[in-house]
Amino acid sequence: MKNKIKLALAQISSKRMDKQANLHRFEEGTRKAKEQGADMVIFPELSLTGYVIRDQIYELAETIPGPAVERVEQIAKETGMYVVFGMPEVSEKTKATLYNTAVFVGPEGYIGKYRKKYLPTHSVFEEKRYFRPGYQTAVYDTPIGKIGFCICYDLFFPEVTRLARLKGAQLIISISASPAVRRNYFEILTAARALENTTFLAYVNLVGVQDGLQFWGGSRLVAPTGDILAKAKYDEEDFVMCEVNYNDMRPAETFIPTLRDLRPELFDELKRTCELL
Amino acid sequence: MRLSPSVLEIDEQDIAKRLTRFIKDYVDTSGAKGVVLGLSGGVDSATVAALSALAIGGDRVMALMLPEKETYSAKDIEDAQVVAKKFKLQTQVCEITPALEGFYKSIPIFDPADRLCKGNIKARARMIYLYYYANKLNRIVVGSSDKSETMMGYFTKWGDVAADISPIMDLYKTQVRKLAEHIGIPRELAHKPSTPALWPNQMAEGELGIKYELLDQILFGLERFMTVEEIAEQLSVEKAQVEKVKARWLDVEHKRRMSLTAKIEYRTVGIDFRLPHHT
Repeated sequence: MKNKIKLALAQISSKRMDKQANLHRFEEGTRKAKEQGADMVIFPELSLTGYVIRDQIYELAETIPGPAVERVEQIAKETGMYVVFGMPEVSEKTKATLYNTAVFVGPEGYIGKYRKKYLPTHSVFEEKRYFRPGYQTAVYDTPIGKIGFCICYDLFFPEVTRLARLKGAQLIISISASPAVRRNYFEILTAARALENTTFLAYVNLVGVQDGLQFWGGSRLVAPTGDILAKAKYDEEDFVMCEVNYNDMRPAETFIPTLRDLRPELFDELKRTCELL
Repeated sequence: MRLSPSVLEIDEQDIAKRLTRFIKDYVDTSGAKGVVLGLSGGVDSATVAALSALAIGGDRVMALMLPEKETYSAKDIEDAQVVAKKFKLQTQVCEITPALEGFYKSIPIFDPADRLCKGNIKARARMIYLYYYANKLNRIVVGSSDKSETMMGYFTKWGDVAADISPIMDLYKTQVRKLAEHIGIPRELAHKPSTPALWPNQMAEGELGIKYELLDQILFGLERFMTVEEIAEQLSVEKAQVEKVKARWLDVEHKRRMSLTAKIEYRTVGIDFRLPHHT
């Protein structure tokens, strides 16, 4: 396994309801990342279709693997790159059970997926109307490290990244479609989730305007100490190269030994208390 | 959080950037050649005109001045022209009195003493002019409604509120005034008392029965789910005053929506046909 990897944070504005145009952006971005020496390129949440697609989601969602994933697999194979992107997934077993999913492919083909666990359904968000929440924590052991996932609102729930970390994730990828009024929350949470788990966290957010919502970008790589190692522009498309050095994890973990200090019995109490809320 | 004038403070620079981006994005994705708007000489339309010019260039902003004889104000025209000149807008003046008189004459039940019904004809007639220009010039209509008047229903249904986009509809009047000054609207115009100009000497604050500085704080509290009691206590006003604002806000939801229909079929327009604003 590599000790150092290079990431490309591809902060794009998706063309809504136009999967072919967005797949083309994925291809362009992946090739550009390859040229710049990246091992992996990351695109935002639901970037295959755009975020505000409402009822059109039923005709845009695909199975995973499915046609869109196969196309990205082909791009990944041709370039030797790892690629992460977000898309609406329809269950293979039913016709209208959807998930908000992050897809992970690599030079070897399809690696796996992560289905968003926490679906915001408040304010401008209506995700529970369309999606079923995911139940699996996803951590994939690859030649570029142990990669874990979360999606956008999952960041508000520390258990999601903690579980990924406890299952071995060294780098947690958080794809997002966060509108500008919530920027401050995510700037805090991305740093907190990386720091409390002493893990790398790559956050890639959408930009552009969809039905009056303006996505704020600001994608970033956060170090296990909570420091921001690289940061994309606010509000505009950007493409940021950055490096993850897994050797930085041990000194961080030694200096901030949160994992050593975990108290499992508190989780039992948390569960009992939470059920009574 | 405690209600005070400071809750209405805004980051003018950031908001100007977001609103110009919003306008530009909508014009670009809709394929329109530019925008049309009514420039009344008031702060809201001046602000929207300036934002539109900053977004896509004044040469793509058609500002229509639509005076009529009963409410004609040389000062309003002058203020509108100052904005048009400063932001290099395209302008046209359409004297709408003949059209209005046509309506008055052709409505068998027309009642000249009913100034509200008559005034609403003026607002709706202006909408017809704006949409004619938009249609003819392949442009979109940009509306000037702000959040205070939209929440209070202080507008003419299908009249002044009619537009393809309404960039300042999420800003209270007092916030619009701050934004206006920031983007270069003359201070005097930014703080000019508002009037819908449906009849002579009609003043917004007089009709609403409350100053915008107070109204906006009450609306801000309602927006944030505060109770009437909390708002009244924090602003040191009578509970009845807050109740009155709340009742009016709730009562006029019909003015803010497409027409309601009865749910009969599988998916219904305006109810559960949930489609994206595809531009």
